[in-house]
Amino acid sequence: MVRTELVKRSPLRLMEKSMHGGVGKGNIGILVSKKGIGKTACLVHIATDKLLQDKHVIHVSYSSRTDHIISWYEDIFKEIARKRNLESAMTVHDEIIKKRVIMNFSQEGTKTEQVLTSLRSMIRDGNFKAEAIVIDGFDFKKGGNDDLEQIKAFAVELDLEIWISTSMEQEELKTDKNGVPKGMQPYIDNFCILVNLVPEREFIRLQLVKDHGTIPNEDLHIKLDPKTLLIAE
Amino acid sequence: MSYDISKMRNIGISAHIDSGKTTLTERILFYAQKIHAIHEVRGKDGVGATMDSMELERERGITIASASTNVTWNNHEINIIDTPGHVDFTIEVERALRVLDGAVLVLCSVGGVQSQSITVDRQLKRYNVPRLAFINKCDRVGANPFKVKNQLVEKLDLNAVLLQLPIGLEDKFEGLIDLVTMKAYYFEGAAGEQIREDEIPEDMRGEAEEKREELLDAASMFSDELAEAYLEGEATEEMIYDAVRRGTLERQMVPVLLGSAYKNKGVQTLLDAVVRYLPEPREVHNYALDLDKDEEQVELVSDFQEKTVALAFKLEEGQYGQLTYLRIYQGTVKKGSELYNVRSRKRFKVGRLIRMHADTMADINEAYAGDIVALFGIDCASGDTFCDPSLNYSLTSMYVPKPVISLALYPKDKKASDNMSKALARFTKEDPTFRTYVDEESNQTIIQGMGELHLEVYIERMKREYRAEVETGMPQVAYRETITSRADFNYTHKKQTGGAGQFGRVAGYIEPFHEGDYEFVDETKGGVIPREYIPACDAGFKKGMEKGALIGFPIVGVRVVVNDGSTHAVDSSEMAFQAAAFGAFREVYKKAGPILLEPIMKVSVDGPNEFQGNIYAGLNQRRGVIVSSNEDGSFSQVEAEVPLSEMFGYSTVLRSMTQGKAEFTMEFLKYGKVPQSIAEELIQEIRKKNEKSS
Repeated sequence: MVRTELVKRSPLRLMEKSMHGGVGKGNIGILVSKKGIGKTACLVHIATDKLLQDKHVIHVSYSSRTDHIISWYEDIFKEIARKRNLESAMTVHDEIIKKRVIMNFSQEGTKTEQVLTSLRSMIRDGNFKAEAIVIDGFDFKKGGNDDLEQIKAFAVELDLEIWISTSMEQEELKTDKNGVPKGMQPYIDNFCILVNLVPEREFIRLQLVKDHGTIPNEDLHIKLDPKTLLIAE
Repeated sequence: MSYDISKMRNIGISAHIDSGKTTLTERILFYAQKIHAIHEVRGKDGVGATMDSMELERERGITIASASTNVTWNNHEINIIDTPGHVDFTIEVERALRVLDGAVLVLCSVGGVQSQSITVDRQLKRYNVPRLAFINKCDRVGANPFKVKNQLVEKLDLNAVLLQLPIGLEDKFEGLIDLVTMKAYYFEGAAGEQIREDEIPEDMRGEAEEKREELLDAASMFSDELAEAYLEGEATEEMIYDAVRRGTLERQMVPVLLGSAYKNKGVQTLLDAVVRYLPEPREVHNYALDLDKDEEQVELVSDFQEKTVALAFKLEEGQYGQLTYLRIYQGTVKKGSELYNVRSRKRFKVGRLIRMHADTMADINEAYAGDIVALFGIDCASGDTFCDPSLNYSLTSMYVPKPVISLALYPKDKKASDNMSKALARFTKEDPTFRTYVDEESNQTIIQGMGELHLEVYIERMKREYRAEVETGMPQVAYRETITSRADFNYTHKKQTGGAGQFGRVAGYIEPFHEGDYEFVDETKGGVIPREYIPACDAGFKKGMEKGALIGFPIVGVRVVVNDGSTHAVDSSEMAFQAAAFGAFREVYKKAGPILLEPIMKVSVDGPNEFQGNIYAGLNQRRGVIVSSNEDGSFSQVEAEVPLSEMFGYSTVLRSMTQGKAEFTMEFLKYGKVPQSIAEELIQEIRKKNEKSS
């Protein structure tokens, strides 16, 4: 399969269809689940999909090392290329990694303001034409609505699509009658898409809780393959 | 000196530049009573530290060449190899590592694990060197040894375990708590030479108990005896020492020691640890290749009665002639005895045998397995193996990277030219990554090396040590050419101008080859090209690859498949087929989509956050691809891939745009495609130059 075809047939197109074209520029989308469910893989898949569309992506993380994140990208790309039998995969790989930057903040509790300053610096001074940013492991306990507002303003200012993943405890993941996890209720107005990763017996189901103006709480009919952690139909 | 191999240690001190390695070495020599005053690296007294024996190093405050020096501590003989810290000279580090049995990784308690530490650690891992970590500069503002210890775990993946706790930090750094003996130690006297043992300060008891538990938990993994005794609360000091030693030797654990070499604290305790935890020569496995048995691997035995095997790992031009540093792996080296140089296949007699202390030396009569000594007046190259004349062993070839940059030299006059030749002959022997040749077309002397600084240092040395006044051309990047598509060839070489003619026809195709530089495949059938001419075809293609048609650089990544051809009963010859293959390649190369490749460097920049915008912008302007950035508090480290051709002068630019607060390292990563627009410019430029010179 050639690259354009691969993008067209990605399960992410299906996901975007369900959510009125996706998160869109100037907006924030959120992936929530408990720890160890596959949020990072999900984010990396979303980022790789953007890269395959020739878009520049910044991956923000809060871990101790950047090489782990790079290996996530390598693994996910390899899986996609293998599954779809991508033509000249090595060339595609070498092209797309030039469009990705990993920005890691290893000190605990780095302020969102600092993160945004660094991002701005990378985009402006580094002349990195980012169209999407994925933020892996945002902690809502440390940064609440103030931080979200700053991120939102940043997305609008620089015309970016932003995906954030966050972990919550079992208790906070309990949903209200609309399907919104308790832990996310205080922030619901400050982002436009919320996807809940729900573990089922055999796989992880993606549940669209919030879709721009509405709270449909519907099954996206896509799942995470437990072996490869790829998003699949 | 009496010979007891169990009391011998060969250690290296590896570190990031400016983490205080030279000062530490200086203190070690002082406490081992070899020198009588301590000089600072950038000393006010103008003497400079003893280990930096070269004038140039003194000026730059960095250590370039590795000198080996011998000290005695607690009845143990320690050979210390001072290793250079700058990445441009890593071949020196790698060669030093080859002969080490253990290493001390020095880290700055403020700067922590920086890019250079990562490079050095990777090298230590490659050579399986057991190591201790020494967190230096605990007296500095911002000192945080705990953070650095965590970085060892997180960034370097080491099982780092604290053996000591600091009593106070920064300007209040007073002494250390030993977590094994559970005592406090203070370093007193004018130069910290008197160690006072005391009880642990009351307010630190709890913390010390807690950290001791961490140590015992970690150490118990390596000794069942300790694990049991620990459970019953009966762990003895000896048991702990023994378990930590085992963990260290298995390279499953890295004991962490603390101190401040500059403030004379913690150096003696570090030396105790070197003796206690690092291996003696017999505990390290060393192998040689038996050249008489098809390079079969043989394990060497650290026994002085065995036949001699030794490695010349370092050459130095001393005051009295060439000094060859030698690591003896097996047997004895005796004054007056005969040895065999495996590479040159020459026998020679051992003249003066020397034990080195940085700038002074002591004559000895013999030296034994495990030791590091020096010989005078031996003609050899660095990396040569010396054996007993009845053996034909070679110690495994050391990994030598290919040079990525070259420079033309223009001597000012005849005398300078002579001196330059002498200097070049010397340097190429000392350093395998430094090469030189005379370009046939321009008749210029070209030097090649691993980076700008690498070449600069040799040019400086040429001027100082050899009085060779030379001017230099612009640094030239080692470009390559390659092909991007398959193309067919069918070429006939035919000459009939009186006498015997020449005839040969070769046909087939060339295609991109990613696994190596070149592959030749013979698919002819039925002897259309006689068997005996096939090697000539191979040679002809190889010759064609030496100079690409775009800018005259070597061609890489080509597979040649020959599947047809024809021959003439009288006129065909090896020469004719070689010419046919050469002609075929020249013709087909243009059809196979040739492109230019350039060396891409992995660049790592460390600096305060406030300058990150400048750092990003600087890398971007240099066609760099930023791979990642890592912010840790107020410091960030940026990793990028940048073409070497864009890195000239970067150190000056970086310094000026960050007020000297950022630093960078780079190493060769891969060859990458030169972007079309730049390739065109290059081709034009080189064509113009060639027109001018012809």
